[in-house]
Amino acid sequence: MSARSRKIVAVGARRFLAGVWHARFGLCAPACRRAAFARQVRLACEELGPAFIKLGQLASVRPDVFSAEMVFELERLQDSVAPVPVDAIREVIRADLGRYPEDVFESFDPVPIASASIAQVHRATLSQGYRPVCGEELEAGAHVAVKVVRPGIARLIREDIAVARQWARRLDHIAALRRLSLGGFLDEFERSLHDEMDLRNEGRLADRFAYDFEDDELVFVPRVVWRHSTRRVLTMEFVKGWRLTDISEAERSGVDAYGLALHGAEVFMRQVLVLGRFHADLHPANLFVTPDGRICYLDFGISGRTEPEQRIAIAQVLAATVYGDADRALRYSRELGLVIPPDREAAVRARVDALLRVTMGGPGPSDVRGFAMGFLSMLADFKITVPVGYGLLIKALVTVEGVARRLYPAIDIAQAAKPFATRLIAQQIADPAQLSLRLPAAMRAALRELAS
Amino acid sequence: MALTATLKGELVDDFMRFLASWALVHETADEGWKAAVARGGEATSGEMGSGPEAFVDGLSAMIAEEKERLKAELAAGHSEAPGSRADVSAKLDDLTFEVSELRGRLESMQASLDALNADPDEA
Repeated sequence: MSARSRKIVAVGARRFLAGVWHARFGLCAPACRRAAFARQVRLACEELGPAFIKLGQLASVRPDVFSAEMVFELERLQDSVAPVPVDAIREVIRADLGRYPEDVFESFDPVPIASASIAQVHRATLSQGYRPVCGEELEAGAHVAVKVVRPGIARLIREDIAVARQWARRLDHIAALRRLSLGGFLDEFERSLHDEMDLRNEGRLADRFAYDFEDDELVFVPRVVWRHSTRRVLTMEFVKGWRLTDISEAERSGVDAYGLALHGAEVFMRQVLVLGRFHADLHPANLFVTPDGRICYLDFGISGRTEPEQRIAIAQVLAATVYGDADRALRYSRELGLVIPPDREAAVRARVDALLRVTMGGPGPSDVRGFAMGFLSMLADFKITVPVGYGLLIKALVTVEGVARRLYPAIDIAQAAKPFATRLIAQQIADPAQLSLRLPAAMRAALRELAS
Repeated sequence: MALTATLKGELVDDFMRFLASWALVHETADEGWKAAVARGGEATSGEMGSGPEAFVDGLSAMIAEEKERLKAELAAGHSEAPGSRADVSAKLDDLTFEVSELRGRLESMQASLDALNADPDEA
């Protein structure tokens, strides 16, 4: 057993024992037990470094595989590690761009502005102007952020995945863990990480997002400098602004936080329901508010897709949820792949109805996060599988609420979604294909009413 | 002849009466519609869920907004029909974006190629 394997086993065992202790040796309620173990898993990931932090981040958008408690705990993972010495970063830039950063850029700051598990970011200025894929030209001297993959990280991650794979094979023998299909999850993780370490993918997604929202004056996406971007180096326009944690400072400078929170929710719905591509990793660190009052989107690592027929069902589920209609929500959830066995249907409907009343119909603002947690826990209790896309969407919607609340704590995201959902459904009803399907039934109902 | 003339007169009267009834119903409905649009326009976003009346008012206001947008589009000669100016313009935008995207990819590949040429040992 290698030293790294021993370390992983030691951390895993220690965190497991801590979990047993915090779960009162399994005597507390199931939700409390799951929460106690989820916390230890998060701490173990942070302790074990980049591969495990990324593994945890991927797990945090998969409520179809992991419990709701685990998913919401893992989203708190801190992806901030000690920076690599600048000379190592300079060597990566020289290998990928053929010259040292001082020769590529007009200036290059040796002190990183951010350092995460996969890459670190340095500030620089362009020596020549550049015409980007979207937006106006960047002038010579423009400030850019140069994101560079940490040297040797690919090898480290490969080694960690190999160890994790050995353990996944062993854990698959335990009946309670077999349903998680850890081997399959690791395969997916390896693919996703491979994509994330090729920074050109992030650049392409940023360009596509910028193009999709070119007509939206409140959305800002940094421009990519492809001339200085390769597999391990991504050069993007540097953005000045406030993180969502500093929103009060932005408000003091005249930024309309409530308007931005509302608009952010609409941008998300437009992505999901109209464009069919959505940013699925919208945690607060990936968002900025610019001094001219726009929302700046960063880091397009995890994205989701929706097909046209799914979008109609998603709009219906969304509208049913915000209007508190359990029947409708479940009917259209089936079209999104949720399979509810007939013998559990009445019980599921009753639970959803109660959950909607508590989380969405109470006197205070709606609680989308509470609804999602309760809904996913309920599905786990009834042993109902969560379809992959459905889970990703629920998680993304909760994140949007979280982000909107960071911008404006009193916002009611369900109320904000009502006009958009209503308009979308009205458009769908007015669609000639839908009308021709519904008209005969509507006429029959009207005639029955007249006859009685 | 006189009978025919009387019948014709009655028919014309009935037809006029029918049109007048239609105009009256339409006018009343239109007033109701305008009032609903006004009420809906004044409501805040949260009020739509407070009952069927509020919902209809809110929906009426949104439909009126959509109607204004449609009127503006028609006046500007925009239409999404295949072959229309707007359709060609949208396709042109998509194509321009794809070409720019391709240029970006080429520039990135050129940068990698230059790096390999600058340091053949790396290859």
